[in-house]
Amino acid sequence: MSGNMRQYAFFLGCIAPNRYPGCEAAAIKTSEKLGIELLPLKGASCCPAPGAFGAIDLKVWYALAARNLVLAEEMNMDITLICNGCYKSIWEVNHILKHNDELRDGVNEVLAEVDMEFKGSIDVWHLIELYYDEKICGVEKVRASVTRPLTGTKIAPHYGCHLLKPKKERHFGDTENPMWFEELIDALGAESVQYRNKMQCCGAGGGVRGFDLTHSLDITNEKLINVQEVGADAITEFCPFCQLQYDRGQVEIAEKFGQVYDLPVLHYNELLGLAQGMTPQELALDLHAVDCKTFLEKIL
Amino acid sequence: MARVKDYGNAELEEKLQDTSYYADDANPQFLEDVKKLSRTAANMCFQCGTCTGSCPSAPRSSYRIRLFMRRGVLGLEKEALNDPDLWLCTTCYSCTDRCPRDLAPTDVIMAMRNLAFKVDIVPRNFLKTVQLIYKTGHGVPNNDVNRAARVKLGLPADPPTTHSYPEFIPGIQKIMDFYKMKENADRILSEGEQ
Repeated sequence: MSGNMRQYAFFLGCIAPNRYPGCEAAAIKTSEKLGIELLPLKGASCCPAPGAFGAIDLKVWYALAARNLVLAEEMNMDITLICNGCYKSIWEVNHILKHNDELRDGVNEVLAEVDMEFKGSIDVWHLIELYYDEKICGVEKVRASVTRPLTGTKIAPHYGCHLLKPKKERHFGDTENPMWFEELIDALGAESVQYRNKMQCCGAGGGVRGFDLTHSLDITNEKLINVQEVGADAITEFCPFCQLQYDRGQVEIAEKFGQVYDLPVLHYNELLGLAQGMTPQELALDLHAVDCKTFLEKIL
Repeated sequence: MARVKDYGNAELEEKLQDTSYYADDANPQFLEDVKKLSRTAANMCFQCGTCTGSCPSAPRSSYRIRLFMRRGVLGLEKEALNDPDLWLCTTCYSCTDRCPRDLAPTDVIMAMRNLAFKVDIVPRNFLKTVQLIYKTGHGVPNNDVNRAARVKLGLPADPPTTHSYPEFIPGIQKIMDFYKMKENADRILSEGEQ
């Protein structure tokens, strides 16, 4: 690669590579056009899931996330990732262990068993924040990379929870009505739309999807009602778990509640891929539970 | 010399010296454990209810985050840990962002879930995730349909994670064994099947 490329260790997580591989493929290809090279983080595991795993033993959550961080420390490279859940585990554990000696010593005690040591020598970024960051990429560069503008489409942004919240520990500012994701959507030639209770959770997190599916889907259903109300053609997000909840959730909602939305759900990287000229086949959009056909007809 | 107030009842005097809440089933240590695990000053909660008002789970269930905050302050350990509503928090952190006392109710719930696991109270789906990560390194492992799709995309059939490098899995197992996590998960799951 050319010397102008910024290199990052690409932390994949679980749902992107194992359920929506189009997100992984799109992240690698679209980032390359924006001067960001994603290199494999060999031997990485589940982040591990902050809600389902951290909920039962935070100490193991710290230690396993730290193991993933050490893999990148050994590459001497910052991590980037494309999932809010992974961001919570990887970014937050990195942050906590850098600032809490007691927890860090505890983690290093167990990491010593596998000949590893957490040093705190790298940073962790969500790919979406690298795209928005003027120093790395910026909205204009994203706009310039578009070869097939998504003109005439209305897209509802879903920020999810764990990138921005809790705001006092993060660096994204307002969490009541942020607008920066809309800028990135509009840069693709699409029209971002506002809807009721935009910042509400998708309903999947905290192990609730596994614990009480009906409860979890009821939260999702409320969001879908609000998105449909403003006539959106698709939802976009930057978290494969939210994507799974909205996408497969629509099938489950149709079964359980009898409500049908047929609302395509696309990761921002898939959307960016389409706008940069990638085909639906190159994005494995056929793996989505909700057919993206109506949306694709508008742009292809 | 100032007169010392005295109720003439040694037992009462001792209770008045102790500022902990008194109820038969209250455990003051519970609050301390919650504070340590959650890294938030849970005792500062003044019960305004902003948390419950912000909660996406509250309108569709009996789950009330404010109630759990109170149980923490009062040391009502059994009441908190035995309530299945404890597992309805999606960890969206809306309550944490809006708390006027700058507390993290979400992390209080996480702490209580940790304490519940210590006494074998935990929903099965959480334990299954533990078993999957122990076995494969992934909470959501790869499958054949997905492998075929990955190959079509020009990606390796298995991602460059523990799926392609299984030599990393023993290290993950060692870390989990250090805390006896898998052992406990297996035991609780098998006891549930009996």
